[in-house]
Amino acid sequence: MTQMAHDLALLEPEIAVLLTGAGTLVCEMLRRPRAAMVSALVGLMLATALSLPLLGMDTTVFSATFRIDTLSVWAKLILLPATALCVLLVRAELGGSDREGTVYSLLCFTTFGALVLAGSGDTLFLVLGVLLSGLGAFALVAYPRNDAATEAAMKFFVFASVTGAIMIFGLTYWYGATGSTLIGDLGRLDKTPYAAALGLVAVLVGLGYKASLVPFHFWAPDAYEGAPVAVAAYLSVVPKIGALFALAQVVGDLPDHSGWQGMLAGVAVLTMTLGYLAALVQDNVIRLLAYSSIAQAGYFLLGIIALGASPLALPSLIVFAAAYAAMNLGAFAITQGTGRTLKAFSGLGRGQVFAGVAMAVFLLSLTGIPPLAGFTGKFLLFGAAIDAHFTWLAVIAIINSVLSLAVYLRIMVPMYQTRDEAAVPMAMPSAWITTVWILAFITTLGIGLAAQSLLVRLI
Amino acid sequence: MFPIVSTTLFLPLLGALAVMALRRAPARVVHGIGILTSALVLVGAVWMWSRGVHLGGFSQVEQINWMPTIGASYRVGVDGISLSLVLLSALLFLLTFIFSAKVRERSHAYVVLMLLLETAAIGTFVALDALLFYVFFEVSLVAMYFMIAGWGHEDRQRAALMFFLYTLLGSLPLLLAILGLYLGSAPHTFDMRVWIAHPPLSGTAAMLALVAMLFTFAVKTPVFPFHTWLPAAHVQAPAAGSVILAGVMLKFGVYGLIRFALQMTPDAFRQAGVVILIFGVFSALYGAFAALAQHDLKRLIAYTSVNHMGYVVIGVAIAALASTPGVRALALDGAVLQMVSHGLVTGALFFLVGMLEDRAHTRDMARFGGLLKIVPLLGWSFVLAAFASLGLPGLAHFPAEFQIFLATLRVEPVAIVAILGIVVTAGLYLRAIGQVFLGEPGETWTGMADLSLRERLTLLPLLVLIIALGVAPFWMLDVIHQTTSTLHF
Repeated sequence: MTQMAHDLALLEPEIAVLLTGAGTLVCEMLRRPRAAMVSALVGLMLATALSLPLLGMDTTVFSATFRIDTLSVWAKLILLPATALCVLLVRAELGGSDREGTVYSLLCFTTFGALVLAGSGDTLFLVLGVLLSGLGAFALVAYPRNDAATEAAMKFFVFASVTGAIMIFGLTYWYGATGSTLIGDLGRLDKTPYAAALGLVAVLVGLGYKASLVPFHFWAPDAYEGAPVAVAAYLSVVPKIGALFALAQVVGDLPDHSGWQGMLAGVAVLTMTLGYLAALVQDNVIRLLAYSSIAQAGYFLLGIIALGASPLALPSLIVFAAAYAAMNLGAFAITQGTGRTLKAFSGLGRGQVFAGVAMAVFLLSLTGIPPLAGFTGKFLLFGAAIDAHFTWLAVIAIINSVLSLAVYLRIMVPMYQTRDEAAVPMAMPSAWITTVWILAFITTLGIGLAAQSLLVRLI
Repeated sequence: MFPIVSTTLFLPLLGALAVMALRRAPARVVHGIGILTSALVLVGAVWMWSRGVHLGGFSQVEQINWMPTIGASYRVGVDGISLSLVLLSALLFLLTFIFSAKVRERSHAYVVLMLLLETAAIGTFVALDALLFYVFFEVSLVAMYFMIAGWGHEDRQRAALMFFLYTLLGSLPLLLAILGLYLGSAPHTFDMRVWIAHPPLSGTAAMLALVAMLFTFAVKTPVFPFHTWLPAAHVQAPAAGSVILAGVMLKFGVYGLIRFALQMTPDAFRQAGVVILIFGVFSALYGAFAALAQHDLKRLIAYTSVNHMGYVVIGVAIAALASTPGVRALALDGAVLQMVSHGLVTGALFFLVGMLEDRAHTRDMARFGGLLKIVPLLGWSFVLAAFASLGLPGLAHFPAEFQIFLATLRVEPVAIVAILGIVVTAGLYLRAIGQVFLGEPGETWTGMADLSLRERLTLLPLLVLIIALGVAPFWMLDVIHQTTSTLHF
């Protein structure tokens, strides 16, 4: 087998996602939205299956520009099923609308972009990934074609253009200093601290926007609110995890004493604290969850900071990513079935007992209450941070967990109050949404109780 | 050997699943399942008791791998301290189920939550894996939150919110301490037995871990000035919730103080012993004086809990400061016995206040009077429990407090000022009894019914045990002493 064929074989999952996107588009052109959905689901599942044999590999393809390592393989195993769940959510929300099939196809292309990000071995792949996952996302947000959606997409787009330009500009410093675009060569930056710092700031701007880290988060609440709920759910999980994994790929190769840990720690504190403080005053559940997903991104940074300093760092990132995908998608799914306002949630726990229990579990898991998935993830993240001598950061993260409880109780408290009969009648949830939250519920409990099944492949 | 610890631990969870499966069952059946399950749990606890504990270390240990890659396993077992608390919890839960068999409002959810709480409470005491301990510790919090928020009194939402936020803030530092101990142990493990045998941290790290743990357990116990969540939670919680909160969940704090703080960071604990002692003394005095200022009967009892838990903290601190093993065991015996006594006595008092409130719909002492003539059974039960609570010889608190004070005199005589608390509680209970039960009966309460059969069944075991423990404390002390006499720290 030639090198080319060998490399392509390792990229089978990515290729499958790309072909799925194209195939789904063809179905849409033939005006077969249902076939488009099925093709997206089958393709995504197939790509997940193709990723399984790659577990445990640590290699690169195409002259080290793309990595097949723990991060990138787990990104596939987490993001592809998450995308499939989003497909179901989209079906429930946008099913029957004009050009429904394009949404599935855009989801596939955007996920492809996120996977490119998560496996980046070259700074240009970072740029490519940000663009790929961005272009599809703008269209997804703008899909409803009303004022709110258009405004949201516009804001999203302008933000993306500016941050993307800054990132490309900053990356030129790294190229200038190292003479290479490979991330693996970033170790050469140890003699040029200023170039290293400038480049890092630029990468933080570019990826921070994608992962909605404070202070590059402003687009997120507006975009989520304007977009269909299913798309908001998708944006809060897939591109975000892709960008965070990309950040992990980059900083893992930076010289140790270049101060990147301190810079990320500062961003982490800002992200967690401001995210939850802002969430505390929201009355719109989508905005609340948007700010919550901003704050959760800050927790990922704890694991990223500990990379190289603690053996727990990589497992913590991956377990938390899986946990976050499950619990956040679950919370969005129930919101999609219930309504966008806090008022819509009043009496949910009494009217629909099981949906209520599931929502409570998702919210408690997001807070980090054991024995749920979010706890396992955060617990490992805190452990990694302490192991890397960032105890103070773990303390701040813990204080924020208390703040987060106050945030999530704002949804949970009305759920168990008597329902105001004059309010909007409780909608009968669609079977698609129910499927999604049941799967998310099982995963949330499963990762909490049986984290060993993940850990054994990670440590 | 039959895994009795795990069976006892997970029985309530099974019961909860059964209740969830029987969604259409009437409330009577649901309460029946609750009572039956908790009765079986009590049987299990007595079985564990009959097997006994070894001298030193943990007995009846059961373990299965859970997350071997990070050194966390499912490990449970008991020693003299935890076994007596398991027995107390099992009894209080059974009585609570009997007492609340009248609850008709969302009885399914009520029973499920109570059973979940029971598993969490027993799990907290029998866990020998720090991660497992933390899981149960937190689950109890969630269940209690829903208890207060769902079945509490008028201002329950705010009280439940405050309770949840406050105690979560309190428990998270413990997570940090656990992580610190974990990273300090080599090879990394969450096995509490290993941490106790070879304390993993030393120097500043140990002191930091101790401070984090002290914060957690001070909030939970609660120790002045971290007690502010307690009166609000108690006043708003349903009577059954108050019983569990005071009788079982406050013990998590002091149990953790011994099991984690004292046993896993012993040197740091000894260095900080005087500070902890001062907190204990302040707490005991503050609780007594604050209770003196109350007009609400439930708040009054809530504050006496702060007072009684203060004595326990004194006992633990004295044990750490003591130089001879005999005094050390004396102080710890007293502290552990005080936990059990407090569970029985305060449990009975909260039940009684609940019964009074069911009849009168008020807890304001000034509005009552002469009830002893109208409801003699309720009245005399209250008098007995109140006398026990103020430390009357022959009743449950006396042998416990006696041992604590005896040890205090041998080690740190100045701290004996805490005994003032007893004088104050005596005064306030006499005043309460005078206001509520003595004097001429008012017009308002003439039709009040005395204790029903269900209520008598709830109270009888507690009152009998209060006397039994006061007259002959050795049946409980023997088991406790097996462990306290061999603790090395």
